[in-house]
Amino acid sequence: MKMLLRKALYGCLLFALLLGGCANSAQPTDSAGGGESGTAGGGDEIVIGFLGPVTGNNATDGKDMLNAVELAVGKINESGGVLGKQLKVEVADDGCDPQMATSAANKLASQNVSAVVGGYCSGSTLPASGVFQNAGIPMVVTAANSSKLPAQGYDTLFLINGLVPDQAKTAVTYLIEKNAKKIALIHDNSAYSKDLADSAKAAVEQAGGSVIAFEAINPEEKDFSALLTKLKSLEPDAVYFTGYYAAGGLLVKQFRQKEVPGMFIVGDGSFSEDLIEIAGPENAEGVLISATPTAEFIEGAEAFVDEYKKTYGLAPGPFSALTYNGVNLLADAIQRAGSADQEAIRQALKETKGYQALGQTITFNEQNTLDTSNFAVLKVELGTFKLAK
Amino acid sequence: MEVVLQTLVDGLVVGAFYSLIALGYTMVFGIIKLLNFAHGDLYMLGAFIGFSLLSWLTGDGTGAAGLMGIGVVFLLAMFLVGVIGMGMERLAYRPLLLAPRLSILITAIGVSLFLENGAMIVWSPNFLVYPLQLPQDGWEIFGAHISYTQAALIAISALLMYGLQLFIQRTIYGKAMRAIALDQTACHLMGIDVHRVIGLTFFIGASLAAGAGVMSGAYYGTVNFMMGFIIGLKAFTAAVLGGIGSIPGAMLGGFLLGMMETAGTFLIGGSWKDVVAFSVLILILVLKPTGIMGEKVTERM
Repeated sequence: MKMLLRKALYGCLLFALLLGGCANSAQPTDSAGGGESGTAGGGDEIVIGFLGPVTGNNATDGKDMLNAVELAVGKINESGGVLGKQLKVEVADDGCDPQMATSAANKLASQNVSAVVGGYCSGSTLPASGVFQNAGIPMVVTAANSSKLPAQGYDTLFLINGLVPDQAKTAVTYLIEKNAKKIALIHDNSAYSKDLADSAKAAVEQAGGSVIAFEAINPEEKDFSALLTKLKSLEPDAVYFTGYYAAGGLLVKQFRQKEVPGMFIVGDGSFSEDLIEIAGPENAEGVLISATPTAEFIEGAEAFVDEYKKTYGLAPGPFSALTYNGVNLLADAIQRAGSADQEAIRQALKETKGYQALGQTITFNEQNTLDTSNFAVLKVELGTFKLAK
Repeated sequence: MEVVLQTLVDGLVVGAFYSLIALGYTMVFGIIKLLNFAHGDLYMLGAFIGFSLLSWLTGDGTGAAGLMGIGVVFLLAMFLVGVIGMGMERLAYRPLLLAPRLSILITAIGVSLFLENGAMIVWSPNFLVYPLQLPQDGWEIFGAHISYTQAALIAISALLMYGLQLFIQRTIYGKAMRAIALDQTACHLMGIDVHRVIGLTFFIGASLAAGAGVMSGAYYGTVNFMMGFIIGLKAFTAAVLGGIGSIPGAMLGGFLLGMMETAGTFLIGGSWKDVVAFSVLILILVLKPTGIMGEKVTERM
């Protein structure tokens, strides 16, 4: 019986592990409308794809981006479309999961879309971009910003968000200016988060500060008290968390509860109203965020903000202005290319010079990334985000 | 000193959650030799039902529910999830009670996926914020901060466990449970309503998990449909650590695991937390499969 029990337990452990495997992929199902597939250039429609997390932990930001796509496409179609054709969007849900992203990208490729916008999590955009490269489909990435993306050297991949090292530099420069020298870094082991933490480490050392802790957390976890007790004993001047808002909000909350000294700064993955809600407004007060400013902080984007609020009844999220820009840039490129052919669009994107978008002027460099980044440090004041001084 | 004390208290809080869930694992295993892998999802369900009840009670979430309200919601959620646990046993497990153990184990995994995805459909896949924030005031003891909430969580858990222990040892139903754990067929012959007692076991196990769910929802502040998965595995580890089938073992295992995890995080680093927990599981399985308080099981055929 002892043997039997032992066998049963081993068996169960195996099952538990199997279940673990399933649970990740058993995430929300593809919510894209199983619409009829369109073909590039054919008929009176130009089909573009949207890739992003419409379900799962990052669904809030993903839906924001999708809203922005629909807003932009609606506007373009109202004013006569592109090349006299209407734009049509195919949605592919990547759930921020590399496996889901690969199949979502394959789905878009099989629908023969002219181009793709989106890309939220770098971890899932990386494999998806490979699929698009193989299929020759140009992709405008509007949120993901790991430096590993351009490092792949794909000529179909265009990034209109600033890159991770730029963000790390902006954040660290701000901290050092505020006289924070002992800095603790926390990441969540995702590609984007680890990358940002690594860049921040380099930036801190370059700026003459010291990294007193470099820790990883499991984003599924809810209790970070042990980690924060450890940080408390190290007395950091600042703690920089580079992961997403779900864990970020809990960290902020427990950081305050444990009364850890110093400033708390989060990366743009945590730039969301949900961060304040999860942490609780009084805990979130004074938290810093390094991010590309959202529509509210962009001069000249007032019309976009109004329309977004009117249409969806909520404030535009962190990446909606960027995504809006991405769709408009794409439409502009198709117009310039004079065709919905994938190669022609890629060529036109590559030749983009000084394209005026909301809050940014887009010119691509050698690597198909922005010539100048537009990161800033924001601060939570009275429950809302303000530009930090 | 302050760090050791703080780590100890943090470990106790985490351990209290593990213990409450591990109790359900252990009771069900003790009585029908089933590892109920859907048990962690009952914890999730408890957290969500508590969430809905509290939201309903506080309207749009502005008015505070008050201590009384929280207590009512806590008990109501425990009761409702207890009933769901019984229903789960009736629909999914009872038809397979005499089937090979593997079939019923696979069913448990199916139930788990069903509950997770069901919760996702009902409550959305997003992180939801609990409509209540527990106060953070507390005592400063040797520089360690121990909040009233933490103390209350540990006290409530201890109380629930003590109540369970009394129930098992003193009541006729407790006696029946112990008897069925020994020999189900003989109990049938002696005129004990075996199915009813098994149902009761599921009720108790499920409501303890739900209690842990409501407490963790209120303590940490967010709930999500996948929250039961990892903690279910951890509670299973705790049950094995303490000796699966043993009730005091589950309590001890939970608290020990919680403290080992927090100490491990402190000494090695945050990313090693799960590694510590599952290394413990492997070590126990290899070195002492019966766990710390597990009894030696003799073959009876």
